[in-house]
Amino acid sequence: MSAVSKASDAAAALRVEGLTTSLKIDGVWRDAVRDVSFALAPGETLALVGESGCGKSLTAMTVMGLLPKGVGRLSAGRIVIDGVETSTLAERDFGKVRGDSIGMIFQEPMTSLNPVLPVGFQIAEPLMQHRGLSRRQAMERARELMELVRIPAAAERLKSYPHQFSGGMRQRVMIALAIACSPKVLIADEPTTALDVTVQAQVLDLLGVLQRERGLGVLLITHNLGVVATNAQRVMVMYGGDVVESADVGDFFAKPLHPYSRALLAAMPRVDRPTSDLAPIPGQVPTLAELPDGCRFQSRCPLREEACAVRPPLTPVEGGRRHVRCVVLARELAGDLPREGTA
Amino acid sequence: MLLDVVDLAKTFTLRQGWPVPTLVDVRALDGVSFSVDRSEALGVVGESGCGKSTAARAALRLIEPDRGRVMFDGRDVLTAKPAELRALRRRMQIVFQDPASARDPRQRVGSALMEPLAVHGVARGDVARKRVLAILDEVGLPKTAFDRFPHEFSGGQRQRIGIARALALEPDLIFADEPVSALDVSVQAQILRLLDELKQRRRLAFVFVSHDLGVVRHFCERTVVMYLGRIIESGPTGQIFDAPKHPYTKVLREASPVPDPAVAKAKVAIEGEPPSPVAPPPGCHFHPRCPLATDICRTQAPALRDIAPGRRVACHHAS
Repeated sequence: MSAVSKASDAAAALRVEGLTTSLKIDGVWRDAVRDVSFALAPGETLALVGESGCGKSLTAMTVMGLLPKGVGRLSAGRIVIDGVETSTLAERDFGKVRGDSIGMIFQEPMTSLNPVLPVGFQIAEPLMQHRGLSRRQAMERARELMELVRIPAAAERLKSYPHQFSGGMRQRVMIALAIACSPKVLIADEPTTALDVTVQAQVLDLLGVLQRERGLGVLLITHNLGVVATNAQRVMVMYGGDVVESADVGDFFAKPLHPYSRALLAAMPRVDRPTSDLAPIPGQVPTLAELPDGCRFQSRCPLREEACAVRPPLTPVEGGRRHVRCVVLARELAGDLPREGTA
Repeated sequence: MLLDVVDLAKTFTLRQGWPVPTLVDVRALDGVSFSVDRSEALGVVGESGCGKSTAARAALRLIEPDRGRVMFDGRDVLTAKPAELRALRRRMQIVFQDPASARDPRQRVGSALMEPLAVHGVARGDVARKRVLAILDEVGLPKTAFDRFPHEFSGGQRQRIGIARALALEPDLIFADEPVSALDVSVQAQILRLLDELKQRRRLAFVFVSHDLGVVRHFCERTVVMYLGRIIESGPTGQIFDAPKHPYTKVLREASPVPDPAVAKAKVAIEGEPPSPVAPPPGCHFHPRCPLATDICRTQAPALRDIAPGRRVACHHAS
């Protein structure tokens, strides 16, 4: 499992093993995320990429312990955040980890910020709760954080309300809030999807600086492969709740392996070259209830064969540098495999 | 040219402020001109608030512009009397980003698609039904879609319904306002392919508003770039994105992510965010953020001038 073991257990900022999340749909529990494993090193950006309903956000919510009770549950697996196993923690103790060791930002900051409180207070609040700072100390720290995320005239804007900020500035406020207690891990769920491209570039640039300078491990969830290519070191592609491919970003974009990864790239119009031959993926993502057993992608896959009825393992290929979940490819690329690597 | 838009301007007046609101002017369009021919797609790109949607709506006369001229197939849209305007609108249809919000959730798809045929007196009853079924087939939907409700469809299928509705009256021109922005990549490609086919087969003209330069590059032969209510660059799409002339087009192009880690990560060549159209800067609107800005840019708005065959740019320093 080399793609998941770059960071040893102690060094990993976030470690996820065999995470399986189930959702209750029409009274039936169904696995919406199956057996996801990865480790995130400090100062590393790991991108989780896929289309609507692939389970990427659900994975993040599970890691954050934010599954809605009675509707979603962690059915199997371990989650270790900065050395603390959170998957077995009671909600009260998880509350300490959340905000303290792990922060999260979302696509639409307006839904996460309180519209009737000044942003300075909202950034200061976790510092008072988690770090025991006085109100004055916390406000001073909030000002520093707003400067850190490059909000102009931070001192004056402490008293501003969320609606007085533009979309990009609001996302900066969210980032300041999420990193207030210096967490080891930041989960960024489509952080720039609602922003204009120039503002998107600025926010991603800021995330990159924080990741490098503060050794923040970033789990970047996005549907945009362009954002992945320029902002992540490693990538995991999800489809129908399964990780279908994981690789270093360089290897992945040089030669995507899984049929779904290849289809996704071939379907993407590019600004840097003419794309007269867009290749749509036939059909659409099946709903959770319609997902086939075995390989999840088989209903849309050009390589489909009988063996796909059985769920393929995430198989190491290219000398274990990367992993792919596809029986056909695993067989074709078998020459690359060290024998013991198939476990 | 099928559609010729000349010097369109529109200022909205807003009440702003609390507790004593004041009236402020928003110059959404400030002398915008463009044209589009049959079987051609014109891309309109720019960031939020640049006026790209307003331009499309004003050309359709869904909002009344303050100034300018819109000629459609030789007829003046802005001075057309109601009956003539209705006849013109039949030939100019619109497709929105979110097809769900443009549908009545309680109206079955077939009935929704037959409605414009009845309104325009084109067809009723069985004739209309046959025509709608043919269009459903053309946009890749099953016949069974006719008796179903919009919520029963996925996002991609709903956009197909939106396109079918636009096609029902056999228009010559379609205004598409971010038609694939809400869709996943794999579905987006399906819809783009459908639009490609329609453009060829029906010789349709498109005014295609989008913030996604990749999508525009794929679909549009020509493109105009807008910034704060003005067109700052126009020309063949490939040329504009491969060799942008206006500093803002360059920034837009470099900030657009490309799925290739070998492409050096775009240094953020721009500070700040687009200024508010409420109080745009004098002279060239872009000068406060422009690396090339000099004194003339702060006082004089540059005209959109020809710099190469088919290419125009509004910049004092572009060559």
